[in-house]
Amino acid sequence: MKNKMNRLKRREHGANAVLLSPMYLFTIVFLIGPFVYMIVLSFLTRAETWGVVNEFTFRNYLKILEPTYLNTFWESIKLALLVTALVILIGYPFGYYMAKLSPKNRGVMLMLVTIPFWTSSLMRLYGWIIIFRANGLLDKLLMGIKLTGEPLKLLYTYPAVVVGMVYGLLPFMILSVYSSVEKMDWTLVEAARDLGAGPVKAFFTVTLKCTMPGLMTGVILTFVPSMALFFIADILGGNKIPLIGNVIQDQLMKVHDWPFAAALSVILMLMTTLMIFLYRKVTGSSDTEGII
Amino acid sequence: MKKIVSVCLVLCLFAVLFAGCNSGEGNKAGGTLNLYTWAEMFDPDVLAAFEKETGITVNYTNFDYDETMLARLEAAEGGDYDLIIADDYIIETVIAEGLARKLDKSKIPNFGNINPIYQGQFYDPTDEYTVPYGAGVQTIVYNPAKISVDVKGYSDLWNEAFKDDLAIIANYRVIVGMAEKVLGYSYNTNDLSQIEAAGEKLYELAPNIRLIKDDNVQDDLVSGEVDAAVMYTSQVTMAKLANPDLKIVYPEEGIGFGIMGMFVPSKAPNADAAYAFIEYILRPEVSKACFEYLGYYCTNKAADDLISEEFKEFLVLPTSFKAEDMEMIGNISPEAAEKQDAIWTKFKDLCE
Amino acid sequence: MKRKPVFSTVYLIVGVILMYLPIVIVMIYSFNESKISSVWDGLSLKWYRELFRDRVFGDALVNSLVLGGLSSLAAAVIGTLGAIGTARSSFRGKGVMAYIATLPMLTPEIILGMIFLTFFSLLGLPFGMTTLVLSHTAFCIPYVFMQVRARLSGMDPSYEEAARDLGAGRIRSFFDITLPLILPGIVSGMLLSFAMSMDDVIISVFVTGVSVNTLPVVIYTQLKTGVTPKVNALCTLMFLATLIIVLLSAFLGRIGNSKKKSD
Repeated sequence: MKNKMNRLKRREHGANAVLLSPMYLFTIVFLIGPFVYMIVLSFLTRAETWGVVNEFTFRNYLKILEPTYLNTFWESIKLALLVTALVILIGYPFGYYMAKLSPKNRGVMLMLVTIPFWTSSLMRLYGWIIIFRANGLLDKLLMGIKLTGEPLKLLYTYPAVVVGMVYGLLPFMILSVYSSVEKMDWTLVEAARDLGAGPVKAFFTVTLKCTMPGLMTGVILTFVPSMALFFIADILGGNKIPLIGNVIQDQLMKVHDWPFAAALSVILMLMTTLMIFLYRKVTGSSDTEGII
Repeated sequence: MKKIVSVCLVLCLFAVLFAGCNSGEGNKAGGTLNLYTWAEMFDPDVLAAFEKETGITVNYTNFDYDETMLARLEAAEGGDYDLIIADDYIIETVIAEGLARKLDKSKIPNFGNINPIYQGQFYDPTDEYTVPYGAGVQTIVYNPAKISVDVKGYSDLWNEAFKDDLAIIANYRVIVGMAEKVLGYSYNTNDLSQIEAAGEKLYELAPNIRLIKDDNVQDDLVSGEVDAAVMYTSQVTMAKLANPDLKIVYPEEGIGFGIMGMFVPSKAPNADAAYAFIEYILRPEVSKACFEYLGYYCTNKAADDLISEEFKEFLVLPTSFKAEDMEMIGNISPEAAEKQDAIWTKFKDLCE
Repeated sequence: MKRKPVFSTVYLIVGVILMYLPIVIVMIYSFNESKISSVWDGLSLKWYRELFRDRVFGDALVNSLVLGGLSSLAAAVIGTLGAIGTARSSFRGKGVMAYIATLPMLTPEIILGMIFLTFFSLLGLPFGMTTLVLSHTAFCIPYVFMQVRARLSGMDPSYEEAARDLGAGRIRSFFDITLPLILPGIVSGMLLSFAMSMDDVIISVFVTGVSVNTLPVVIYTQLKTGVTPKVNALCTLMFLATLIIVLLSAFLGRIGNSKKKSD
């Protein structure tokens, strides 16, 4: 009997390996190569005007320690944390309420949330520029209701960047929260309420816990891109916030220092990994196991 | 949920169907010209007329930065593309790497139409590889109704009258170069102490900067978001057409300019099509149409007289310009470039 | 006990309005006569005429749809199977593999573009749709994988076991039990993937070939010459087309449903 169980288990494992094989194959063939190349590149020396020379060096990593470049990491983390916090505050209730709609309305909402993001992000940013412009829509509105007497130069400021990034990353949070609230077992909440928990307590002890995997996915999907995103800061912020993504872009496209760009990317990658890992440790959620 | 899946499926199906139609078109008789440059470099009518006249199909694809182009061209080992238009400094590297071919000038009788002021430059000193297609001059533009300072050159931009009111180009060579010019240095200095000094000077400009960007700065100038800007020629053209009251200043410290050049890659599959295209573009009347669409300085001397009055001011180089007042931004040493980039990153932080 | 959820309805409606606000504004400005987006010069169809005069956009749109369709499909298959396999199997190293599969998300796009370019040319792959689909699939997989993974975690395995006990085969129990449960995750992952692919320029510009221009590439590479309101006109049309397809399919779906009911 025990033998049979074992054999069955082994067969099960074989089948799971088959399921995994496409991803493993893709990863091995198309991802490991480029990433090994990136790590190797980060230890090489730049060539005179273009390209790299095969000479080993730590210089690229030492250069990151210069205050100018350390500062860009700090600026990026600050912005990413702020944006992620706002996205949680706005996106979680949205996804939650969405999942509580009737199934028909849910489908409609799902489409409504995603369609804007099938259009060019440049175009959406231009929309915001028109809104924020001096004497633009927002200024006229605020002046109309006498909240302010003169145009508020809102465009090309830090808040404009934050609005743009929150707007751009919100659907990731909404969709992630939505799909985990939607599958939630509401009898658990009812049970908690029956046992005397108030709605707030029931939410924090049951609902939030059950939807943690979705929230986590949403956090990762917003935090990670906001670390490397830079064109929103360029377009809505007037390029005045030095973010790590800008520095990498400049190193590749203007200074032609590929190894330094690679080193910056490696550090960025490690840092993002570490932050997600820490977050998981702190919140004690193991649901994202296998993601990082 | 099924609905959504079916939507996706329908979309994919549409896409595949379209793709089927599309791939059929590719190979017409008369050959194909694989043209690789930024988007919107040509009036679609010009391309259509060329196709009609020669039977050559123009296959127009785009890159964002010169560097992307060079990386792609390296990967293709000088093949794939028949004609590329890119900025001067990158062409220097392209030629040094042997990725461009010497032009067969017998196939370009109109070669003589080129304005000689744009020839013999650092990237192609003997004009063997390139044909210039448009030139840009870094220009100061400001709104005299809002700014009372009489601007003569870059040094005036440090004036407090411009506080939080100035837009600049997002190119560190141009902007650090601006400070270098104010201090009387060359754009292309490799002297680290000079660059350092320029950096210190540039940091003082930070309170005046409202905006750093490359594209569509004219929108901000015309709408009053900023009252002064350092910008490229095509933007100057658009801004001036929208608001004729704006004042244009060619900085007294010296005029920085750049040239976009056409070149044929070393292993171009259809070089003859490229020659036919260059020859076509160099016709005076075609050049006129091209530059009026593009808004950069006309590099075809034979076309200068054809440019309509409306555009003349922007497309034809003022006769007062002397070659010795003009300096191109070329390649500098890696140390100098790194220094400039560090200055640039710190400068941006100070602007916030 | 059950009261009308006023607050949540208002919240959702306000949210959706804000999401569409910038798009609606750009749509309005696509009818602006002026080339300068900050100046309103009166109503005009000028930019639509300009758009149709330029065949570059049509070709690019088709390429983008093909690319988005193929890569989000590929990512859906690979990512879903990967998520299920990861959730069920327990052999060592699966965490590492899943981590590597999510690396494209943790890396700035511009670096990805460059290393893909180098790697593909090392492999000798022909640049064009193939390389585009491969690279887009690579950065889309994490989106599907994570959505499905979140959906799977906490799913009661007893459902599928029950089905198996009742005699359903492995494949049958997958299609009847597991798939419907994780479908919302797959769909939202695919929708995100499609959106990411339709909007990517930085990677595409590196790995594209001679004959394939995608829409975002055409739009972003106008930087040198200035982005014209043609782009506004184009986005307006695309947006309306998407909306029409969605509404149409919802309508057809409703007819189908009511037919089923009446049967």
